[in-house]
Amino acid sequence: MTIWPEPRLLPCGDRAVSVELGDEVNRELNARVLALEYLLQQRRLPGVGETVPSYRALLVYYDPLVVDYETLEATLRELCAGARPEVLPPARTVELPCCYEGELGFELHAAAEKLGLAPAEVVRLHAAADYYVYFVGFTPGLPYMTGMPDRLTIPRLQNPRTKTPPGSVSIGGIQCCIYSVESPGGFWVLGRTPVRLYDPDAPDPILLRAGDHVRFHAIDRAEYDAIAARVEAGGYAPRITGAAS
Amino acid sequence: MSDLLVQEPGPLTTIQDLGRFGHLRVGIPTSGPMDRDAFVLANRLVGNPDGAAALECTLIGPRVELTDDRLIAVTGADMPATVNGASVPAWQAVAVKAGDVLRLGPARSGVRAYLAVAGGLETPVVLGSRATYVRGRLGGLGGRALRRQDRLPLGPAAAARPRRVRPGQVPVYGAETTVSVILGPQDDRFTEAGVATFLTGPYELLPQSDRMGARLRGPFIEHTRGHDIVSDGVPMGGIQVIGEGQPIVLLADRQSAGGYTKIATVCSFDLGRIAQLKPGGRLTFRRVTVAEAHAMLRDSRRALDAAIE
Repeated sequence: MTIWPEPRLLPCGDRAVSVELGDEVNRELNARVLALEYLLQQRRLPGVGETVPSYRALLVYYDPLVVDYETLEATLRELCAGARPEVLPPARTVELPCCYEGELGFELHAAAEKLGLAPAEVVRLHAAADYYVYFVGFTPGLPYMTGMPDRLTIPRLQNPRTKTPPGSVSIGGIQCCIYSVESPGGFWVLGRTPVRLYDPDAPDPILLRAGDHVRFHAIDRAEYDAIAARVEAGGYAPRITGAAS
Repeated sequence: MSDLLVQEPGPLTTIQDLGRFGHLRVGIPTSGPMDRDAFVLANRLVGNPDGAAALECTLIGPRVELTDDRLIAVTGADMPATVNGASVPAWQAVAVKAGDVLRLGPARSGVRAYLAVAGGLETPVVLGSRATYVRGRLGGLGGRALRRQDRLPLGPAAAARPRRVRPGQVPVYGAETTVSVILGPQDDRFTEAGVATFLTGPYELLPQSDRMGARLRGPFIEHTRGHDIVSDGVPMGGIQVIGEGQPIVLLADRQSAGGYTKIATVCSFDLGRIAQLKPGGRLTFRRVTVAEAHAMLRDSRRALDAAIE
Protein backbone atom coordinates (compact mmCIF):
# COMPACT_ATOMS: atom_id res chain seq x y z
CA MET A 1 0.00 0.00 0.00
CA THR A 2 1.11 3.56 -0.64
CA ILE A 3 2.12 4.94 2.73
CA TRP A 4 5.01 7.41 2.54
CA PRO A 5 8.07 6.39 4.60
CA GLU A 6 8.17 9.99 5.88
CA PRO A 7 5.15 12.32 5.98
CA ARG A 8 5.05 14.97 3.27
CA LEU A 9 4.35 18.47 4.62
CA LEU A 10 2.77 20.48 1.83
CA PRO A 11 2.15 24.21 2.40
CA CYS A 12 -1.42 25.28 1.58
CA GLY A 13 -0.99 29.04 1.50
CA ASP A 14 0.27 31.11 4.43
CA ARG A 15 -2.16 29.71 7.04
CA ALA A 16 -2.45 25.96 6.43
CA VAL A 17 -0.30 22.92 5.81
CA SER A 18 -1.32 19.49 4.56
CA VAL A 19 0.33 16.55 6.29
CA GLU A 20 0.16 13.84 3.67
CA LEU A 21 0.80 10.31 4.89
CA GLY A 22 0.13 8.39 1.68
CA ASP A 23 -1.86 8.34 -1.51
CA GLU A 24 -4.73 5.89 -1.44
CA VAL A 25 -8.07 4.93 0.10
CA ASN A 26 -7.04 2.58 2.85
CA ARG A 27 -8.36 2.15 6.40
CA GLU A 28 -4.94 1.76 8.01
CA LEU A 29 -3.68 4.95 6.34
CA ASN A 30 -6.84 6.84 7.29
CA ALA A 31 -6.64 5.65 10.90
CA ARG A 32 -3.12 7.12 11.07
CA VAL A 33 -4.50 10.46 9.81
CA LEU A 34 -7.20 10.38 12.50
CA ALA A 35 -4.60 9.42 15.11
CA LEU A 36 -2.42 12.36 14.07
CA GLU A 37 -5.39 14.69 14.43
CA TYR A 38 -6.16 13.25 17.85
CA LEU A 39 -2.58 13.68 19.06
CA LEU A 40 -2.39 17.22 17.68
CA GLN A 41 -5.59 18.17 19.51
CA GLN A 42 -4.16 16.77 22.73
CA ARG A 43 -0.92 18.70 22.26
CA ARG A 44 -2.79 22.04 22.30
CA LEU A 45 0.00 23.86 20.49
CA PRO A 46 -0.85 27.59 20.54
CA GLY A 47 -1.57 28.90 17.05
CA VAL A 48 -2.97 25.63 15.72
CA GLY A 49 -6.54 26.11 14.52
CA GLU A 50 -8.90 23.81 12.67
CA THR A 51 -7.94 20.42 11.38
CA VAL A 52 -9.56 18.60 8.45
CA PRO A 53 -8.87 14.88 8.16
CA SER A 54 -9.39 13.16 4.81
CA TYR A 55 -8.47 9.76 3.35
CA ARG A 56 -4.72 10.19 3.43
CA ALA A 57 -3.90 13.66 4.75
CA LEU A 58 -4.57 16.02 7.62
CA LEU A 59 -5.05 19.67 6.71
CA VAL A 60 -3.88 21.83 9.61
CA TYR A 61 -4.80 25.51 9.79
CA TYR A 62 -2.50 27.72 11.86
CA ASP A 63 -1.89 31.34 12.74
CA PRO A 64 1.65 32.25 11.64
CA LEU A 65 1.52 35.31 13.92
CA VAL A 66 1.33 32.90 16.89
CA VAL A 67 3.32 29.83 15.85
CA ASP A 68 6.26 29.89 13.43
CA TYR A 69 6.34 27.41 10.60
CA GLU A 70 9.48 25.63 11.80
CA THR A 71 7.96 24.91 15.24
CA LEU A 72 4.75 23.70 13.66
CA GLU A 73 6.57 21.48 11.19
CA ALA A 74 8.78 19.94 13.90
CA THR A 75 5.74 19.24 16.09
CA LEU A 76 3.81 17.62 13.24
CA ARG A 77 6.75 15.40 12.27
CA GLU A 78 7.20 14.32 15.87
CA LEU A 79 3.49 13.51 16.26
CA CYS A 80 3.40 11.60 12.96
CA ALA A 81 5.93 9.14 14.38
CA GLY A 82 3.46 8.16 17.12
CA ALA A 83 0.28 8.42 15.05
CA ARG A 84 -0.86 4.79 15.16
CA PRO A 85 -4.50 3.63 15.12
CA GLU A 86 -4.13 2.25 18.68
CA VAL A 87 -4.02 5.76 20.17
CA LEU A 88 -7.60 6.47 19.01
CA PRO A 89 -10.55 6.10 21.37
CA PRO A 90 -12.89 3.16 20.53
CA ALA A 91 -15.03 3.68 17.43
CA ARG A 92 -18.81 4.19 17.52
CA THR A 93 -21.33 2.25 15.46
CA VAL A 94 -24.32 4.22 14.19
CA GLU A 95 -27.38 2.31 12.98
CA LEU A 96 -29.36 4.02 10.24
CA PRO A 97 -32.76 2.89 8.99
CA CYS A 98 -32.92 2.91 5.19
CA CYS A 99 -35.90 2.47 2.90
CA TYR A 100 -34.89 0.95 -0.45
CA GLU A 101 -38.41 1.10 -1.93
CA GLY A 102 -39.96 3.01 -4.83
CA GLU A 103 -39.14 6.68 -5.32
CA LEU A 104 -36.81 6.74 -2.30
CA GLY A 105 -34.46 4.25 -4.00
CA PHE A 106 -35.05 5.63 -7.46
CA GLU A 107 -31.90 4.14 -9.02
CA LEU A 108 -31.99 0.71 -7.33
CA HIS A 109 -33.36 -1.09 -10.37
CA ALA A 110 -30.97 0.61 -12.82
CA ALA A 111 -28.02 -0.13 -10.53
CA ALA A 112 -29.09 -3.76 -10.13
CA GLU A 113 -29.28 -4.13 -13.90
CA LYS A 114 -25.83 -2.56 -14.31
CA LEU A 115 -24.45 -4.96 -11.68
CA GLY A 116 -26.23 -8.02 -13.11
CA LEU A 117 -27.97 -8.70 -9.79
CA ALA A 118 -31.59 -8.86 -8.69
CA PRO A 119 -32.70 -5.64 -6.91
CA ALA A 120 -33.50 -7.65 -3.75
CA GLU A 121 -29.95 -9.04 -3.80
CA VAL A 122 -28.46 -5.54 -4.09
CA VAL A 123 -30.52 -4.48 -1.05
CA ARG A 124 -29.50 -7.58 0.90
CA LEU A 125 -25.79 -7.08 0.13
CA HIS A 126 -25.91 -3.35 0.80
CA ALA A 127 -27.77 -3.61 4.10
CA ALA A 128 -25.59 -6.46 5.38
CA ALA A 129 -22.27 -4.58 5.11
CA ASP A 130 -20.33 -2.78 7.82
CA TYR A 131 -19.35 0.70 6.63
CA TYR A 132 -16.41 2.73 7.83
CA VAL A 133 -16.46 6.55 7.81
CA TYR A 134 -13.07 7.82 6.63
CA PHE A 135 -14.04 11.43 7.08
CA VAL A 136 -17.00 13.77 6.92
CA GLY A 137 -17.28 16.75 4.64
CA PHE A 138 -17.62 18.16 1.16
CA THR A 139 -21.11 19.24 2.23
CA PRO A 140 -21.91 19.47 5.97
CA GLY A 141 -22.10 16.00 7.52
CA LEU A 142 -21.59 13.91 4.36
CA PRO A 143 -19.69 10.68 5.19
CA TYR A 144 -17.05 9.24 2.86
CA MET A 145 -17.50 5.48 3.45
CA THR A 146 -16.46 2.10 2.09
CA GLY A 147 -17.39 -1.40 3.22
CA MET A 148 -19.52 -2.82 0.44
CA PRO A 149 -18.77 -6.27 -0.93
CA ASP A 150 -16.89 -6.19 -4.26
CA ARG A 151 -20.03 -7.26 -6.11
CA LEU A 152 -21.50 -3.78 -5.50
CA THR A 153 -18.57 -1.92 -7.08
CA ILE A 154 -20.16 0.20 -9.80
CA PRO A 155 -18.92 3.01 -12.10
CA ARG A 156 -20.27 6.44 -11.23
CA LEU A 157 -23.17 7.86 -13.22
CA GLN A 158 -22.24 9.08 -16.71
CA ASN A 159 -24.41 12.16 -16.29
CA PRO A 160 -24.51 13.42 -12.71
CA ARG A 161 -27.86 14.61 -11.39
CA THR A 162 -28.22 18.29 -10.56
CA LYS A 163 -30.29 17.56 -7.45
CA THR A 164 -30.20 14.67 -4.98
CA PRO A 165 -32.52 14.69 -1.95
CA PRO A 166 -30.84 14.77 1.47
CA GLY A 167 -30.70 11.36 3.12
CA SER A 168 -30.17 9.57 -0.20
CA VAL A 169 -28.07 6.44 0.35
CA SER A 170 -26.00 5.87 -2.75
CA ILE A 171 -23.06 3.97 -4.22
CA GLY A 172 -20.30 4.82 -6.71
CA GLY A 173 -16.99 3.02 -7.28
CA ILE A 174 -16.18 1.23 -4.03
CA GLN A 175 -17.78 4.01 -2.00
CA CYS A 176 -21.08 4.45 -0.24
CA CYS A 177 -22.29 7.97 0.45
CA ILE A 178 -25.27 9.56 2.13
CA TYR A 179 -26.17 12.99 0.76
CA SER A 180 -26.49 15.42 3.67
CA VAL A 181 -28.04 18.38 1.87
CA GLU A 182 -29.73 18.69 -1.51
CA SER A 183 -26.83 18.66 -3.94
CA PRO A 184 -25.65 17.46 -7.35
CA GLY A 185 -24.55 13.84 -7.38
CA GLY A 186 -22.86 11.18 -9.46
CA PHE A 187 -23.67 8.14 -7.26
CA TRP A 188 -26.52 5.64 -7.77
CA VAL A 189 -29.28 6.24 -5.23
CA LEU A 190 -30.41 2.92 -3.71
CA GLY A 191 -32.55 4.19 -0.86
CA ARG A 192 -33.07 6.94 1.69
CA THR A 193 -32.67 7.28 5.42
CA PRO A 194 -35.19 9.42 7.31
CA VAL A 195 -32.42 10.38 9.77
CA ARG A 196 -30.84 13.81 9.29
CA LEU A 197 -27.09 13.74 8.84
CA TYR A 198 -27.09 17.53 8.96
CA ASP A 199 -29.70 19.47 10.91
CA PRO A 200 -28.87 23.18 11.05
CA ASP A 201 -31.51 23.71 13.76
CA ALA A 202 -30.05 21.13 16.15
CA PRO A 203 -27.56 22.07 18.90
CA ASP A 204 -25.15 19.51 17.40
CA PRO A 205 -26.01 19.57 13.68
CA ILE A 206 -23.72 16.76 12.52
CA LEU A 207 -24.51 13.07 13.17
CA LEU A 208 -21.50 11.15 11.87
CA ARG A 209 -17.81 11.46 12.75
CA ALA A 210 -14.60 10.30 11.09
CA GLY A 211 -13.81 6.77 12.30
CA ASP A 212 -17.46 5.80 12.93
CA HIS A 213 -18.93 2.56 11.68
CA VAL A 214 -22.35 2.68 10.01
CA ARG A 215 -24.87 -0.16 9.63
CA PHE A 216 -28.07 0.13 7.62
CA HIS A 217 -31.23 -1.74 8.35
CA ALA A 218 -33.90 -2.01 5.69
CA ILE A 219 -37.30 -0.55 6.54
CA ASP A 220 -40.49 -0.35 4.50
CA ARG A 221 -42.19 2.85 3.39
CA ALA A 222 -44.65 2.94 6.30
CA GLU A 223 -41.80 2.68 8.78
CA TYR A 224 -39.86 5.33 6.87
CA ASP A 225 -42.80 7.73 7.09
CA ALA A 226 -43.26 7.00 10.80
CA ILE A 227 -39.60 7.66 11.59
CA ALA A 228 -39.55 10.74 9.35
CA ALA A 229 -42.46 12.15 11.35
CA ARG A 230 -40.61 11.50 14.62
CA VAL A 231 -37.45 13.12 13.19
CA GLU A 232 -39.53 16.16 12.20
CA ALA A 233 -40.91 16.40 15.74
CA GLY A 234 -37.43 16.03 17.22
CA GLY A 235 -38.30 12.69 18.82
CA TYR A 236 -36.00 10.24 17.05
CA ALA A 237 -32.38 9.39 17.70
CA PRO A 238 -30.59 6.63 15.82
CA ARG A 239 -29.01 3.85 17.87
CA ILE A 240 -25.36 4.56 18.59
CA THR A 241 -23.18 1.96 20.29
CA GLY A 242 -19.53 1.86 21.25
CA ALA A 243 -17.66 4.82 22.69
CA ALA A 244 -19.47 7.33 24.87
CA SER A 245 -19.87 10.49 22.82
CA MET B 1 -35.13 47.86 21.52
CA SER B 2 -32.44 49.05 19.14
CA ASP B 3 -32.80 47.57 15.71
CA LEU B 4 -31.72 47.86 12.15
CA LEU B 5 -34.80 47.55 9.93
CA VAL B 6 -34.38 46.28 6.40
CA GLN B 7 -36.47 48.26 3.92
CA GLU B 8 -34.78 46.86 0.80
CA PRO B 9 -32.29 44.01 1.14
CA GLY B 10 -30.27 44.30 -2.10
CA PRO B 11 -29.51 41.19 -4.16
CA LEU B 12 -27.30 39.42 -1.59
CA THR B 13 -26.80 41.01 1.79
CA THR B 14 -25.69 38.69 4.57
CA ILE B 15 -24.77 38.96 8.22
CA GLN B 16 -21.11 38.04 8.78
CA ASP B 17 -18.65 38.00 11.63
CA LEU B 18 -15.05 36.75 11.44
CA GLY B 19 -16.31 33.22 10.87
CA ARG B 20 -17.37 29.92 12.35
CA PHE B 21 -14.36 27.90 13.49
CA GLY B 22 -13.99 24.28 14.54
CA HIS B 23 -16.50 22.62 12.23
CA LEU B 24 -14.63 22.36 8.94
CA ARG B 25 -13.73 18.81 9.96
CA VAL B 26 -17.39 17.87 9.55
CA GLY B 27 -17.91 19.93 6.42
CA ILE B 28 -19.22 23.22 7.82
CA PRO B 29 -17.26 26.08 6.22
CA THR B 30 -15.86 29.05 8.11
CA SER B 31 -17.88 31.59 6.11
CA GLY B 32 -17.16 35.13 7.37
CA PRO B 33 -16.32 38.20 5.27
CA MET B 34 -14.90 37.75 1.78
CA ASP B 35 -12.75 40.89 2.29
CA ARG B 36 -11.50 40.60 5.86
CA ASP B 37 -9.55 43.87 5.99
CA ALA B 38 -12.48 46.00 4.82
CA PHE B 39 -14.77 44.19 7.29
CA VAL B 40 -12.42 44.75 10.23
CA LEU B 41 -11.96 48.42 9.38
CA ALA B 42 -15.74 48.98 9.29
CA ASN B 43 -16.00 47.57 12.81
CA ARG B 44 -13.01 49.51 14.15
CA LEU B 45 -14.36 52.78 12.72
CA VAL B 46 -17.47 52.54 14.90
CA GLY B 47 -15.62 51.29 17.99
CA ASN B 48 -16.65 47.62 17.66
CA PRO B 49 -14.39 44.65 18.28
CA ASP B 50 -13.03 43.17 15.01
CA GLY B 51 -15.38 40.20 15.23
CA ALA B 52 -18.68 42.07 15.74
CA ALA B 53 -21.35 41.03 13.26
CA ALA B 54 -21.90 43.41 10.34
CA LEU B 55 -23.46 43.31 6.89
CA GLU B 56 -21.75 42.14 3.72
CA CYS B 57 -23.49 43.74 0.73
CA THR B 58 -22.96 42.38 -2.78
CA LEU B 59 -22.97 44.60 -5.91
CA ILE B 60 -25.97 46.67 -4.74
CA GLY B 61 -26.45 47.69 -1.14
CA PRO B 62 -29.55 47.64 1.03
CA ARG B 63 -31.81 50.40 2.32
CA VAL B 64 -32.09 50.28 6.10
CA GLU B 65 -33.53 52.33 8.93
CA LEU B 66 -32.07 52.68 12.42
CA THR B 67 -34.30 52.87 15.47
CA ASP B 68 -31.87 54.87 17.57
CA ASP B 69 -28.82 57.12 17.28
CA ARG B 70 -25.74 55.17 16.22
CA LEU B 71 -22.38 55.49 14.52
CA ILE B 72 -22.24 53.57 11.26
CA ALA B 73 -19.42 52.96 8.78
CA VAL B 74 -19.31 51.74 5.20
CA THR B 75 -16.13 50.23 3.75
CA GLY B 76 -15.20 47.95 0.86
CA ALA B 77 -16.80 48.33 -2.55
CA ASP B 78 -17.65 51.89 -3.55
CA MET B 79 -21.42 51.85 -3.07
CA PRO B 80 -22.49 55.51 -2.86
CA ALA B 81 -24.08 55.97 0.57
CA THR B 82 -26.86 58.36 1.47
CA VAL B 83 -28.61 59.18 4.73
CA ASN B 84 -32.13 60.51 4.10
CA GLY B 85 -31.04 61.15 0.52
CA ALA B 86 -27.93 63.19 1.39
CA SER B 87 -24.51 61.82 0.47
CA VAL B 88 -22.32 60.57 3.28
CA PRO B 89 -18.68 59.47 3.01
CA ALA B 90 -17.45 55.88 3.16
CA TRP B 91 -14.38 54.72 5.12
CA GLN B 92 -15.31 56.87 8.09
CA ALA B 93 -17.75 56.76 10.96
CA VAL B 94 -21.00 58.67 10.38
CA ALA B 95 -23.46 59.54 13.14
CA VAL B 96 -27.04 58.69 12.21
CA LYS B 97 -30.20 59.47 14.18
CA ALA B 98 -33.18 57.36 15.11
CA GLY B 99 -35.47 57.10 12.07
CA ASP B 100 -32.74 57.94 9.56
CA VAL B 101 -32.73 55.89 6.38
CA LEU B 102 -29.37 54.74 5.07
CA ARG B 103 -29.04 53.56 1.50
CA LEU B 104 -26.11 51.99 -0.35
CA GLY B 105 -26.27 52.26 -4.14
CA PRO B 106 -24.82 50.01 -6.85
CA ALA B 107 -21.05 49.45 -6.60
CA ARG B 108 -19.06 51.82 -8.81
CA SER B 109 -15.94 49.80 -8.08
CA GLY B 110 -15.40 46.62 -6.10
CA VAL B 111 -18.09 44.03 -5.36
CA ARG B 112 -18.57 43.73 -1.60
CA ALA B 113 -19.25 46.57 0.81
CA TYR B 114 -19.42 46.28 4.60
CA LEU B 115 -21.85 48.15 6.77
CA ALA B 116 -21.00 48.15 10.47
CA VAL B 117 -23.20 49.66 13.17
CA ALA B 118 -21.85 50.58 16.60
CA GLY B 119 -22.79 47.80 18.99
CA GLY B 120 -22.82 45.20 16.24
CA LEU B 121 -25.70 43.02 15.04
CA GLU B 122 -26.89 40.69 17.77
CA THR B 123 -28.60 37.97 15.81
CA PRO B 124 -28.44 34.44 17.29
CA VAL B 125 -25.07 32.76 17.65
CA VAL B 126 -25.05 29.37 15.90
CA LEU B 127 -22.10 27.04 16.53
CA GLY B 128 -20.13 29.92 17.97
CA SER B 129 -20.73 32.42 15.18
CA ARG B 130 -23.27 34.80 13.65
CA ALA B 131 -21.85 34.34 10.13
CA THR B 132 -24.36 33.33 7.45
CA TYR B 133 -23.77 30.18 5.40
CA VAL B 134 -26.64 30.30 2.92
CA ARG B 135 -26.05 26.88 1.28
CA GLY B 136 -26.16 25.19 4.69
CA ARG B 137 -29.04 27.36 6.02
CA LEU B 138 -26.85 28.24 8.99
CA GLY B 139 -26.28 31.40 11.02
CA GLY B 140 -27.33 34.96 10.19
CA LEU B 141 -31.09 35.29 10.24
CA GLY B 142 -32.62 31.88 9.54
CA GLY B 143 -29.51 30.88 7.58
CA ARG B 144 -30.47 33.11 4.65
CA ALA B 145 -29.71 36.43 2.98
CA LEU B 146 -31.61 39.46 4.29
CA ARG B 147 -35.19 40.10 3.22
CA ARG B 148 -37.43 43.09 3.27
CA GLN B 149 -38.81 43.84 6.75
CA ASP B 150 -36.12 41.88 8.57
CA ARG B 151 -35.40 43.40 11.96
CA LEU B 152 -31.83 42.96 13.19
CA PRO B 153 -31.24 43.59 16.90
CA LEU B 154 -28.25 45.77 17.79
CA GLY B 155 -25.96 45.35 20.76
CA PRO B 156 -25.18 48.13 23.23
CA ALA B 157 -22.87 50.70 21.64
CA ALA B 158 -19.75 51.79 23.49
CA ALA B 159 -19.04 55.51 23.42
CA ALA B 160 -16.63 56.11 20.54
CA ARG B 161 -15.38 59.16 18.75
CA PRO B 162 -15.98 59.17 15.01
CA ARG B 163 -12.86 58.12 13.15
CA ARG B 164 -11.79 57.69 9.56
CA VAL B 165 -9.41 55.64 7.46
CA ARG B 166 -6.42 57.72 6.30
CA PRO B 167 -7.14 58.79 2.72
CA GLY B 168 -3.93 57.13 1.47
CA GLN B 169 -5.05 53.81 3.01
CA VAL B 170 -8.36 53.57 1.17
CA PRO B 171 -7.94 50.77 -1.39
CA VAL B 172 -8.66 51.33 -5.06
CA TYR B 173 -10.42 48.39 -6.71
CA GLY B 174 -9.47 48.23 -10.37
CA ALA B 175 -10.24 45.86 -13.21
CA GLU B 176 -6.89 44.10 -12.77
CA THR B 177 -5.17 42.75 -9.71
CA THR B 178 -2.27 40.55 -8.72
CA VAL B 179 -2.39 38.13 -5.81
CA SER B 180 0.37 36.21 -4.05
CA VAL B 181 0.23 32.42 -4.15
CA ILE B 182 2.23 29.61 -2.62
CA LEU B 183 2.56 26.64 -4.96
CA GLY B 184 1.01 23.36 -3.86
CA PRO B 185 -0.24 21.13 -2.41
CA GLN B 186 -0.42 19.33 -5.82
CA ASP B 187 1.81 21.49 -8.03
CA ASP B 188 3.76 18.28 -8.78
CA ARG B 189 0.72 17.09 -10.75
CA PHE B 190 1.26 19.82 -13.37
CA THR B 191 3.87 20.09 -16.10
CA GLU B 192 6.54 22.79 -15.85
CA ALA B 193 4.83 24.52 -18.75
CA GLY B 194 1.50 24.22 -16.92
CA VAL B 195 2.86 25.94 -13.80
CA ALA B 196 4.54 28.63 -15.92
CA THR B 197 1.27 29.28 -17.76
CA PHE B 198 -0.60 29.56 -14.48
CA LEU B 199 1.93 32.10 -13.16
CA THR B 200 1.76 34.15 -16.36
CA GLY B 201 -2.01 34.33 -16.81
CA PRO B 202 -3.93 36.54 -16.76
CA TYR B 203 -7.23 34.92 -15.74
CA GLU B 204 -10.61 36.55 -16.15
CA LEU B 205 -13.16 36.34 -13.31
CA LEU B 206 -16.40 34.73 -14.50
CA PRO B 207 -19.88 35.86 -13.40
CA GLN B 208 -20.65 32.41 -11.91
CA SER B 209 -18.26 33.27 -9.05
CA ASP B 210 -19.75 33.43 -5.57
CA ARG B 211 -18.86 33.06 -1.88
CA MET B 212 -17.93 29.44 -2.51
CA GLY B 213 -15.42 30.05 -5.25
CA ALA B 214 -14.06 32.40 -7.92
CA ARG B 215 -14.33 30.76 -11.33
CA LEU B 216 -11.67 31.89 -13.77
CA ARG B 217 -11.01 31.63 -17.50
CA GLY B 218 -7.66 31.97 -19.20
CA PRO B 219 -4.68 30.09 -20.62
CA PHE B 220 -4.97 26.29 -20.39
CA ILE B 221 -3.04 24.78 -17.47
CA GLU B 222 -1.52 21.41 -18.34
CA HIS B 223 -1.60 18.46 -15.94
CA THR B 224 0.87 15.57 -15.96
CA ARG B 225 -1.67 12.80 -15.41
CA GLY B 226 -5.29 13.78 -15.00
CA HIS B 227 -7.04 16.10 -12.58
CA ASP B 228 -8.36 13.57 -10.05
CA ILE B 229 -6.67 12.98 -6.70
CA VAL B 230 -7.56 10.93 -3.64
CA SER B 231 -9.84 13.54 -1.99
CA ASP B 232 -8.20 15.77 0.61
CA GLY B 233 -8.92 18.99 2.51
CA VAL B 234 -9.51 22.17 0.50
CA PRO B 235 -7.69 25.12 2.08
CA MET B 236 -9.03 28.68 2.06
CA GLY B 237 -7.78 30.18 -1.21
CA GLY B 238 -6.96 26.78 -2.68
CA ILE B 239 -6.85 26.84 -6.49
CA GLN B 240 -8.38 23.76 -8.08
CA VAL B 241 -7.66 23.07 -11.72
CA ILE B 242 -10.21 20.75 -13.25
CA GLY B 243 -10.61 19.01 -16.58
CA GLU B 244 -10.70 22.05 -18.85
CA GLY B 245 -7.42 23.32 -17.41
CA GLN B 246 -9.17 26.29 -15.82
CA PRO B 247 -8.68 27.43 -12.21
CA ILE B 248 -11.25 27.93 -9.44
CA VAL B 249 -10.18 29.76 -6.27
CA LEU B 250 -12.07 28.32 -3.28
CA LEU B 251 -13.28 30.87 -0.78
CA ALA B 252 -15.20 31.46 2.47
CA ASP B 253 -18.17 29.12 1.83
CA ARG B 254 -16.11 26.44 0.05
CA GLN B 255 -16.50 22.69 0.35
CA SER B 256 -14.22 21.31 3.08
CA ALA B 257 -12.72 18.57 0.90
CA GLY B 258 -12.47 17.69 -2.75
CA GLY B 259 -10.98 15.36 -5.32
CA TYR B 260 -9.33 17.77 -7.78
CA THR B 261 -5.69 18.82 -8.08
CA LYS B 262 -4.81 22.11 -6.40
CA ILE B 263 -1.93 23.88 -8.12
CA ALA B 264 -1.46 26.64 -5.53
CA THR B 265 -3.11 28.54 -2.68
CA VAL B 266 -3.82 32.29 -2.58
CA CYS B 267 -2.31 33.97 0.49
CA SER B 268 -4.81 35.06 3.13
CA PHE B 269 -3.89 38.75 2.96
CA ASP B 270 -4.72 38.89 -0.78
CA LEU B 271 -8.10 37.11 -0.73
CA GLY B 272 -9.87 40.46 -0.39
CA ARG B 273 -8.52 41.49 -3.79
CA ILE B 274 -10.36 38.57 -5.36
CA ALA B 275 -13.51 39.39 -3.38
CA GLN B 276 -13.50 42.90 -4.86
CA LEU B 277 -12.78 41.93 -8.48
CA LYS B 278 -15.80 42.34 -10.75
CA PRO B 279 -16.76 39.73 -13.34
CA GLY B 280 -14.59 40.37 -16.39
CA GLY B 281 -11.76 41.66 -14.18
CA ARG B 282 -8.31 40.16 -14.69
CA LEU B 283 -6.30 38.29 -12.11
CA THR B 284 -2.58 37.48 -12.17
CA PHE B 285 -0.87 35.08 -9.76
CA ARG B 286 2.56 35.81 -8.33
CA ARG B 287 4.58 33.10 -6.63
CA VAL B 288 5.99 33.68 -3.12
CA THR B 289 7.62 31.39 -0.56
CA VAL B 290 6.09 30.54 2.82
CA ALA B 291 8.63 32.78 4.60
CA GLU B 292 7.92 35.68 2.23
CA ALA B 293 4.18 35.21 2.72
CA HIS B 294 4.50 35.31 6.50
CA ALA B 295 6.52 38.54 6.30
CA MET B 296 3.87 40.00 3.95
CA LEU B 297 1.10 38.94 6.34
CA ARG B 298 2.83 40.77 9.21
CA ASP B 299 3.25 43.88 7.02
CA SER B 300 -0.38 43.73 6.01
CA ARG B 301 -1.54 43.48 9.64
CA ARG B 302 0.68 46.44 10.58
CA ALA B 303 -0.79 48.47 7.73
CA LEU B 304 -4.30 47.56 8.86
CA ASP B 305 -3.51 48.62 12.43
CA ALA B 306 -2.18 51.97 11.19
CA ALA B 307 -4.99 52.61 8.69
CA ILE B 308 -7.33 54.51 10.99
CA GLU B 309 -6.66 58.05 12.27
